[in-house]
Amino acid sequence: MQRIGKTVWKRLKANRQTLLWIVISFATLLIAWQVASMLSQGRVQIPAPLEVFEAFFRSMTVPIGKNTILEHAGISLWRVLLGFVVASVIGMAIGILMGVSPKAHAVINPLFEFVRPIPPIAWIPLSILWFGLGSSNKIFIIFLASFTYVTINSYEGARNVDPKLIGAARMLGASRRRVFTHVIFPSSVPYIFAGLQIALSVSWAAEVAAEIIYSQNGVGWIITMGMNNGNITQIMVGMIAIGVIGYLLSTLMRVVEGRLCRWNRQET
Amino acid sequence: MDRPVKVKVDHLVKKFDELLVLDDISFSVKQGEFLCIVGPTGCGKTTFLNSLTGLYDITGGSITIDGEPVDLKKHRVAYIFQEYSTMPWLTVEQNVQFALNLKREKAEKAKKQAEKYMELVGLTEFRDYYPDQLSASMLQRVVIARAFATEPELLLMDEPYGQLDTELRYRLENELLNLWRQSGTTVIFITHNIEEAVYLGERILVLSNKPTTIKKEIANRLPMPRDIAAPEFIELRNQVTELIKWW
Ligand SMILES: Nc1ncnc2c1ncn2[C@@H]1O[C@H](COP(=O)(O)OP(=O)(O)OP(=O)(O)O)[C@@H](O)[C@H]1O
Ligand SMILES: [Mg+2]
Repeated sequence: MQRIGKTVWKRLKANRQTLLWIVISFATLLIAWQVASMLSQGRVQIPAPLEVFEAFFRSMTVPIGKNTILEHAGISLWRVLLGFVVASVIGMAIGILMGVSPKAHAVINPLFEFVRPIPPIAWIPLSILWFGLGSSNKIFIIFLASFTYVTINSYEGARNVDPKLIGAARMLGASRRRVFTHVIFPSSVPYIFAGLQIALSVSWAAEVAAEIIYSQNGVGWIITMGMNNGNITQIMVGMIAIGVIGYLLSTLMRVVEGRLCRWNRQET
Repeated sequence: MDRPVKVKVDHLVKKFDELLVLDDISFSVKQGEFLCIVGPTGCGKTTFLNSLTGLYDITGGSITIDGEPVDLKKHRVAYIFQEYSTMPWLTVEQNVQFALNLKREKAEKAKKQAEKYMELVGLTEFRDYYPDQLSASMLQRVVIARAFATEPELLLMDEPYGQLDTELRYRLENELLNLWRQSGTTVIFITHNIEEAVYLGERILVLSNKPTTIKKEIANRLPMPRDIAAPEFIELRNQVTELIKWW
């Protein structure tokens, strides 16, 4: 967390101009929001920014339902983590296998192309019937959401390994296995990482969607509860939490990528 | 000059389907010798090295190292390709160590070897750079250091300096000669640059057009370091050029 903070800060400092524009854009948003909430008095309900932020920070100590907002976020993130990790491991294995073996690609890819266009949320009903109402159905949805991206990118990565490098490794005495561990895998890392990055944000979106449809906790549930109780402030609190977490997740991935793929800088 | 035979190429024939590329080639390279092969574009120079290292199956004849069929697990052969083949995700130092890590050499030894050869090719201060931060000549040096770090008994080089400008080429050629002298390794060096062949080789094989045969074998007894402006050098260069005119 500290590292993310540092990177963000460094980036901002490196570009004061950008910082200025960010401040201006948020200030504009807040002013517009404030004006809208004042004008809307008595018609639709738009709570004022201060009210929402106050509720947001209050919810860190005062529970919404059974849990504080941090606990809800933790619950949601835990599910995302499980689904994402399982999908990443399996996705990488299958993707790389397809990349190195045309036969595997010929067999797996058609299935893949068939399943891919079905958006993850379309699986929610089936998933609830198969896995019940608890966490497992959401983990399954997250798995489906991230699996495709990781697989496709790992496949692309393994397929695009420069054959000259494989040749060079063989000439230096590498066995097939070492060619895999010392050339094919490391050279695929940037592709794989791009896949992981998309997968994680898609996972987060899928988790929220699954929670909104049916859940007993988590940040998506905060929104649904807000809607059911006509509590617009609570809805907005939930949305802010979703946005902030989404942002943190993608920044985290960018930082990790920056460390792992230092050699590939120019492509990111 | 009674060195044992290191590499023996015996009636080598290589076809790609119906395309006859190497047509009955025989020659041998002595232990510790520096052999240059020149030949026109597309005559099969790369094909020859690929056949030697087993990247291609040969159609006929045989290639042996120390009288045995080539086995990359056993014979320490280093092959430097026409294109740069540094691993982009590794630093200079890690690239130089690459082959040693592949062979599960002890980390300490790998480090020492890398140190030595980085020093020899003048890359020590760039050890933490990644390939995309290096110039073409530095990349080729990394590849050369990586090859020498394995202490090869046979070094194969396929127009390694073809893409460099003249000055850099001279420097790398001299570096190569130094490494060769220090290590005593056997070198087969392919080029289409006649001056380069005359500057480096103890012997020069001139190949013909496809289907490729050996047109002429020239011993080069000029003492090293050679002076490219000396009359003997120019004479030998012209002699090779004459042969090549008929390509
Ligand atoms: N894998 C292959 N399959 C089919 N034909 C090939 C293959 N490799 C090389 N050839 C053919 O063999 C001939 C010799 O090619 P090779 O690359 O060995 O030439 P070269 O002497 O190295 O040329 P250059 O000077 O351009 O490097 C060419 O006609 C080429 O088209
Ligand atoms: Mg060639």
